[in-house]
Amino acid sequence: MSRRTITLLAVAAASALLLAGCAPAAGPATSAPAAGGTLTYATGFGEPDCLDPHNGGNMPQALVGTNFLESLFSQDADGAIVPWLATAGTPSADGLTWDITLRDDVSFSDGTPFDAAAVKANIEQIQDPATASSTGILALGKVQSVEVVDPTTARFHLSEPDSALLESLAQTWLAMESPAGLARGLEANCEAPIGTGPFIVDSWTKQDSITLVRNENYNSAPAGAAHEGPAYLDTIVWRFIPDSATRFAALQSGQVDVIDEMQPDNVVAADSSDQFDVLTGALPGASIRLELNSGFAPFDDERVRKAFVHSADVNPGIQSLFFGTAERSYSVLSSSTPYGASFPDDFTIDTDLANQLLDEAGWTGRDSEGYRTKDGQRLVVDFPVSTNQSIPAEQSLFEQIQATTKEVGFDVELHPLDLSSWYSALGSWDFGVTSAIYTKNSPDVLRILYHSSNIVPAPSGYHANNAHVSIPELDSLLTEAGETTDDAQRASLYEQAQKILSDGAYVLPLYDHLQKIGYSTKVHGLSLLPTLQIPYFGDVWVQQ
Amino acid sequence: MRWLLLRLGGAVFVLWAAATLTFFGLRLIPGDPAQAILGGPGSQASAEALAQVRAEYGLDQPLFTQYLTQLGRLVTGDLGTSYSLRTPVVEVIGSQIGGTLLLAALALIVAWAIALGLALWSTRGGRIAAGVGSALEIVAAAVPHFWLATVLVLVFSTTLRWFPAVSTAGPEGLVLPVLTLALPLAGFLGQVMRESVLDALDAPFTLSARARGEGEGGVRWRHVLRHGSLPGIALSGWAFGWLISGAVVVETIFARPGLGRTLLNAVQLRDVPLVVGMVLVVALGYVVMTVATDAATRVADPRMRAS
Repeated sequence: MSRRTITLLAVAAASALLLAGCAPAAGPATSAPAAGGTLTYATGFGEPDCLDPHNGGNMPQALVGTNFLESLFSQDADGAIVPWLATAGTPSADGLTWDITLRDDVSFSDGTPFDAAAVKANIEQIQDPATASSTGILALGKVQSVEVVDPTTARFHLSEPDSALLESLAQTWLAMESPAGLARGLEANCEAPIGTGPFIVDSWTKQDSITLVRNENYNSAPAGAAHEGPAYLDTIVWRFIPDSATRFAALQSGQVDVIDEMQPDNVVAADSSDQFDVLTGALPGASIRLELNSGFAPFDDERVRKAFVHSADVNPGIQSLFFGTAERSYSVLSSSTPYGASFPDDFTIDTDLANQLLDEAGWTGRDSEGYRTKDGQRLVVDFPVSTNQSIPAEQSLFEQIQATTKEVGFDVELHPLDLSSWYSALGSWDFGVTSAIYTKNSPDVLRILYHSSNIVPAPSGYHANNAHVSIPELDSLLTEAGETTDDAQRASLYEQAQKILSDGAYVLPLYDHLQKIGYSTKVHGLSLLPTLQIPYFGDVWVQQ
Repeated sequence: MRWLLLRLGGAVFVLWAAATLTFFGLRLIPGDPAQAILGGPGSQASAEALAQVRAEYGLDQPLFTQYLTQLGRLVTGDLGTSYSLRTPVVEVIGSQIGGTLLLAALALIVAWAIALGLALWSTRGGRIAAGVGSALEIVAAAVPHFWLATVLVLVFSTTLRWFPAVSTAGPEGLVLPVLTLALPLAGFLGQVMRESVLDALDAPFTLSARARGEGEGGVRWRHVLRHGSLPGIALSGWAFGWLISGAVVVETIFARPGLGRTLLNAVQLRDVPLVVGMVLVVALGYVVMTVATDAATRVADPRMRAS
């Protein structure tokens, strides 16, 4: 057993103890957990097209999938890797092979044993183009093959070292499914994937609900769970309610027990009521932030970017529009992702400085409406806003940014767009600034978002590097950080990388992307799995 | 016979125009249908996957060729397969149409009942009733669905707890969605009906009916109501189309499965076959309703039969 493995196990054991010591997030345990009953969950994240998160790979799939699928690893509240279906992961000295050892006592809900052959089958299914994986295949970019060493050891062969491998394997989009289930073909597997989780897919009525029933043989609770063994609930009804006001009304009238995607005003209302509680967690990956398109005018000039950042006064807006439910962030990384670095001094509001910078950059003219001009051209900043991703409070915040940057002469033009049109605008670089979300349970998200190679669009036209950041020094820092597994070195490299982004005013961080779960106080034992801040129902019981 | 042939030709033209406008409309706005097939917008699909999908669905052909291919399929009655749901469009519509038709039909009946009741009451009850009736109609007709739905949920679900906020298996879940659709429609129908009830009360045929000694009830029931309902009947074809578009909002807010919600998702994903298929079905329904209201007008209005 190498030192790395031992460290990993020690961390795992310590975090398990730590988490186990914490009381579950839901209200005080007034009585012992009662088995049975049905819980109704209403999601605003949308309905998946396919319940197998290997296909595509988005948040709606991960949310419902966590109930019936489990991953090789999990993470603790600090983002450190802890075992789940795997007991440990050990890299070779050159970092090109990883031995993943597995639990030998877990079976899928169809009776198929979980073993190294199953791991191999899953990885191969994700990498098969026919599966049309998007998130999973990207996370496995450096994985060349999986070798079955023995039933409890799967050996991953990599093309280059990958310090984020175990974090990737912790995502629900790379969860383990029964090989017998996969063999049914994509279509059947989309309808009801077979996993090792506390629940089993019973039925799916499109546009209405998914019914999940208890897995009576469940024995693989994640680290931090309050109890081992089968779940308490008989049934979960997973409903799709797209409108946030209706979702909250359904919770208030008792039609549903748990809701997600709460609006700030509903969070305040639920918090002040003794019938409801709210569970929040920062989604890992990047914070919600404005990305300044540095590849094209006007933000190809660093002085103009800095003028924008020093005039976009966001704090008053966050306070008034979010009712205290959001906290200003000065980090590109979410507070739940390790190695985040904050540089608040780079984001002070200073209109004199902003005016001076714009003068220096040659934007000296003013037109009749008070906007700055240069060679007869107005200082226009196009701002495509995804109405799917930005909640109403956030869209109002963007209007306040529009108002405060106008004072120094920016003409910020907000364009509310549906998701397809928004991706098209980004794909054609037809914007000055935008806000994009990116959820990933690893600081390696920085490489995806700011490595120059990700300016080149994917074949679908999608590019992750919306700020068009192209700095060789940053590239090498991010590549090196993605390859080393040494903690101190990773921390130093990621801090240097974030300082470069902050110094160059490529990004204006706003706040964490929050998961906001509202629930009736009759619901006990609800918690969020730290990996992707997804609700875990294995410990939940409902007071009758 | 000539009437029927003209109608039929008109119907075919409407269907062709609807399919054509929808196809080009959806393909000329930004967004890539190939991404709908590969997991929605923003997918990071590989070049191979995209090429494979484009070839498989003919998306690599010139747009006009794709249009002709799709039109050719439609003529043979084949609506194709949904890009995002990977199921035949016919199946998707079949599973969703029941809920929407039930919603639209109930809303139409309730709107008619409210409009007729309001028209008859407000024309009988003197100046105050007329003023109140007309004000109610104008307000109801002006109220947007999303606002009305939110208010109804707030009052009848959150506060009074009489009806559920989201759809249920039982009939109680239909009350708020039906009211949301019916109230503004009742406003429209009521306005035109009251006008024509007032006309009818002054008309010579009413005078002669009264002269024959018919009671007030008989006059209103047999003569005035028949005349008063004519514009309402004529409007019902239009109302059907209006109800379906209202269903997009109502089904989304009340989380009811149905055509409206499916259509919204399909448009957002640029799922061309599904959108075209649904628009065709709705257009067909609209045509059928228009023919039906034409026929109903002929039954209700003796002048039409004479000509």
